[in-house]
Amino acid sequence: MLKSNLYQEEQFPSPLRQTWYEFRKSHLAFIGLCILASITLIVILGPFVTPYSPLTQNTDALLVPPAWDGNGGISHVLGTDGLGRDVLTRVIHGSRVTFGISVFLVLVAMLIGVLIGAFAGMNTGMRSSILNHLLDSMMAIPTLLIAIIIVAILGPGLVNSMWAITLALIPQFIHYTRDFVRTEVNKEYVIAARLDGASPARIFVFSLLPNMVEMLVVQGTLALSIAILDISALGFLNLGVQSPYAELGAMLSEGLDIAYIAPWSIAAPGAAIFIAIISINVVGDGLRSALRNRLKY
Amino acid sequence: MKIKVFYRQILATLLTLTGVVACGGNHDLKFKDEGLIYCSEGSPTSFNPQLDTSGTTVDATSHQLYDRLLEFDPQDSKIIPGIAESWRVSENGLHYTFQLRKQVAFHETNYFTPTRHLNADDVIFSINRWRLESHPYHDIDVSGYPYFVSLGLDKLIKDVRRINGYRIVIDLNKPDSSFLANLATDFAIILSKEYAEFLLEKNQPQLLDEKPIGSGPFKYINYRKGRFIRYAKHENYWKHDRAVKQLIYDITPSSSLRLAKLMTGECDVMSLPAHSELDIIRDRNNLVLDEKPGLNVGFWAFNTSKPPFDNPEVRRALAMGIDKTTLLEAVYFGSAVKANGLVPPSSWAFQEDLRDNSYNPVLAKDLLRKNGIEPGFTMNIWAMPVERAYNPNATMMAELIQGYLEQLEINVEVISFEWSLFRRRLDSGAHDSVLIGWSADNGDPDNFYRPVLSCAAIESGTNRARWCNETFDEIIDEALTYSDTDTRAALYQTANAIIADQIPIVPIAHAYRFQAYRQGLSNLEINPFGGIRFGDVENTQ
Amino acid sequence: MSFYFLRRLNLLVFTLFMLAMASFGLAYLFPGDYLTNLTGIHFESEQQRQLYATLYKESDGVFWQFIAYLDLLWQGEWGQSFSSNQPLYQEVTTYLPASIELSAYALFVSLVVGIPLGFLAGLRHNKLADYSILSMSFIGYSIPVFWLALILILILSLQMGWFPISGRISLLYYIPLDTGFILIDIIRSDVSYKWDAFNDALRHLFLPTLSISIVTSTIILRITRRSVIEVMGSEYIKAATARGLNRYQVILRHGIRNTIIPIMPQLALQFTTLLTNAMIVESIFSWPGIGNWLIQAIYQGDYPSIRSGMLAVSSLVVIFTVSIDIVHKIIDPQRLYRQRVKI
Repeated sequence: MLKSNLYQEEQFPSPLRQTWYEFRKSHLAFIGLCILASITLIVILGPFVTPYSPLTQNTDALLVPPAWDGNGGISHVLGTDGLGRDVLTRVIHGSRVTFGISVFLVLVAMLIGVLIGAFAGMNTGMRSSILNHLLDSMMAIPTLLIAIIIVAILGPGLVNSMWAITLALIPQFIHYTRDFVRTEVNKEYVIAARLDGASPARIFVFSLLPNMVEMLVVQGTLALSIAILDISALGFLNLGVQSPYAELGAMLSEGLDIAYIAPWSIAAPGAAIFIAIISINVVGDGLRSALRNRLKY
Repeated sequence: MKIKVFYRQILATLLTLTGVVACGGNHDLKFKDEGLIYCSEGSPTSFNPQLDTSGTTVDATSHQLYDRLLEFDPQDSKIIPGIAESWRVSENGLHYTFQLRKQVAFHETNYFTPTRHLNADDVIFSINRWRLESHPYHDIDVSGYPYFVSLGLDKLIKDVRRINGYRIVIDLNKPDSSFLANLATDFAIILSKEYAEFLLEKNQPQLLDEKPIGSGPFKYINYRKGRFIRYAKHENYWKHDRAVKQLIYDITPSSSLRLAKLMTGECDVMSLPAHSELDIIRDRNNLVLDEKPGLNVGFWAFNTSKPPFDNPEVRRALAMGIDKTTLLEAVYFGSAVKANGLVPPSSWAFQEDLRDNSYNPVLAKDLLRKNGIEPGFTMNIWAMPVERAYNPNATMMAELIQGYLEQLEINVEVISFEWSLFRRRLDSGAHDSVLIGWSADNGDPDNFYRPVLSCAAIESGTNRARWCNETFDEIIDEALTYSDTDTRAALYQTANAIIADQIPIVPIAHAYRFQAYRQGLSNLEINPFGGIRFGDVENTQ
Repeated sequence: MSFYFLRRLNLLVFTLFMLAMASFGLAYLFPGDYLTNLTGIHFESEQQRQLYATLYKESDGVFWQFIAYLDLLWQGEWGQSFSSNQPLYQEVTTYLPASIELSAYALFVSLVVGIPLGFLAGLRHNKLADYSILSMSFIGYSIPVFWLALILILILSLQMGWFPISGRISLLYYIPLDTGFILIDIIRSDVSYKWDAFNDALRHLFLPTLSISIVTSTIILRITRRSVIEVMGSEYIKAATARGLNRYQVILRHGIRNTIIPIMPQLALQFTTLLTNAMIVESIFSWPGIGNWLIQAIYQGDYPSIRSGMLAVSSLVVIFTVSIDIVHKIIDPQRLYRQRVKI
């Protein structure tokens, strides 16, 4: 309060805006955000720009090295794989699959998790207690392990692995929503709404949800990096996307066979996953410390 | 260059971080030198090669554990004495007399101690096991005896007679010019009758094929499926005392991993190097790469028992839709010759002027439409999950064919799963078409025609096209009754014409055979027919 | 307190029971005959099937079938694998220790590397050392473990030829399996080449351990750092400083203990993450562990193996986490709920 008076601002910055100011202070986080934005742009626009199709084989150009290598050429910037497919094109299309699916899965898991979490948080008693107990155990198990077990049961395949990862991601959203609802539900603004006669659903949607958005964004980035790792790990283990479709993890495992003659075939998809995850993590971390700093005032 | 510097930087950081100083690389230990590790491509289905025709089983068992009556000379492929010191063929070609070697000892292991040396009883037992359905051991294993049955050897032999302890006579129903060669194949091994009787008494006859006893240079110690086989030297091997103390099969399905292990010294020898990786092996000073033209054929077989593939015109159209030359370059990296027929150029039955369907997608499309195959038709191609000499990368070939058939507006589903499951389902005829092949087990051309395309071979599971043509069978039967190669070659040309007309299979390539091992091993030679031999290998380092 | 233990134990039993039930249900859900899925035997005759049908109480209701299944599970009769025809109990008990061994060494390395670095970063909070360690740690925990393993193989094994890339030990050394933990087995064995074998096993361990522990040590580093920052900012540290203790005395007497104790269970929980990463790394390094085995079983449609492998791995993880919970409670009775690791 004191601060705003000091600067005599006409309008007090909204919490969101404050977070943004804090976030921007960290150069690392800001760079991460820029990288993330460009990745998003490439993934969305890439397929319209790439001159090749990710599935078209070119037997005249097998295992062409990347452009900076003596034997490489500018027509295939990152070289080609064992079937003459352009690696750059495949990485872009693969990123689209990997990242696109991950975002989708996180959104679905978030939706389901928040619903169940809100339900658990606003109810007490036996049902809620059982749920809490189960959740506590689930939280301790790495999502990938849950996903592998679910894929083991459902059988390998893209759709099955999507189910598996969604199911594995849900518990943490339930957990955080429940905890959040628990702490907030007895605060004055909620009680006020309740005294106004609002139904629990209405309280949740209009009073609690707006306050949860930041927490969900932070958890969402965390879940996103986990989802990308998991889906590419399943692809790598040949339990997820099946060839010939381009998916970064599956591309890595395909590249394994020619790793010693064509290292670029594993370097490129691996680097794509790595860059995406690191930028998401950096942004997530930046957001978290921005929130932490904002709440200090 | 830059990348190398980068590597070094990472390395330095890692090493300081973890405080670990790597102990010097190839500092070889004395104990290790007494053994040999072979990185093989898969698990054998049995320890008895009579029961299976797959190269993996043969490589793992035949020449390591067992002996045969006759052998092929690895240099010139002539038939030379094995357990049989000498042999005689009667004038009419119906009676074969073999004089057996004395002092041939069987393995002594912790599960069996032999009391006598190999003699005529063991030979008769081994042949009768697959020949006579009434034999107590005939039905012990459900897999049957695919090699002998597909060649009709069980019907060919009339009787096996014991003259004395070390002499036997085999009587045939009709003359067969490939008979001796068949006895020298990897499958015609000699088992121990004494061990078999011992097991019958213990009521565990199935152990004959699981815990083997033979007379070969190595004896069985233990085995973990999918992981390793451990053999030890047979101390009383009749031929010599040079064999290495331990022979280990490190089962490694991925060829790149096998190569990596060869490079790091975890294997001494690797099976089936990928054609794409040959140059890497050539570039390494400490590795040796041997090559020889192989007696094999890789082909694309249509399941002729399934419509619309029962129609030769459809098969012809599909055959015209693919460009073999490109497949050869992409899959074999040029280390193969294009196949027009079944028999490779190194065989005397090779027909030089055999015509081939040239690549013609336009005509192919026409032909398909005429025969009622509409655009959007979906078929599957089963691709072997393992590398074989005749097809180093079936999945990649299938994907390339997928690309070709797309131009004919045919959708292709590539199907591949774990090898033993794959073959089991293939036996049931679930496929539309399959990419597979055949490696010769002896130098006789009959060994190509009969197992791959004869009617009897459908049952024994080597005729993947499930194609049965009586005229064809008659011709190849007739060819066996002559011993003169010119007459036989003429008959095989007629057979070739039938294949070219019917196209049950599309021959694709005769691949070279390769063998890679580390420097310092001697006497490791490519066996022209089938299995690898480690008995004579020495470590000279 | 005892009420808490009871509740935890209750939860443990309940979860294990659910897992057993799920694995029993799987036998019905997987394609094929449920009895074949339970026993792993493709019956050749009706007679043979009948034999097992009585053993598994097929004619009784599902409930009694389940009881019979539990009983057989308890006796170690888990059925046999489709692909190897070996008893599953034996398979799991040979493969599981290999994974646990790898994860345990990796956890040890991660703790040894992660905690000191975490302290260093935490104590130099907002200084150059902190920033550089923190930035490095981003790399560590963002790198996909399977890619890292591949790169390590390419550089350290294939380029430099320093380390072997597959298995636990060269197959030439014949070490009888006893405990299932290779290093212990070597020491206990009485073969002549004991120390050669030990050295060889260590060299085989190096790369898998390194690839798993890089990821985990950065996580441990970040947990430690966070905790150090919190502790160093707390009132009692300020009080200790005010009492005139110098910085090292403060850290030694108050800092370390108060930092480590609250995060100890969280560090131990990293074991499950390690185990998961180990399952992936195993398939790259052909490590004969449970992950490699389970993934092979998935490829081959080996339902009995999937069923028991899943049961074994998830039971291990559940038992482990609940025991950590209880130990946590004993060390630090104040804490009510376990918190999700903050990194």
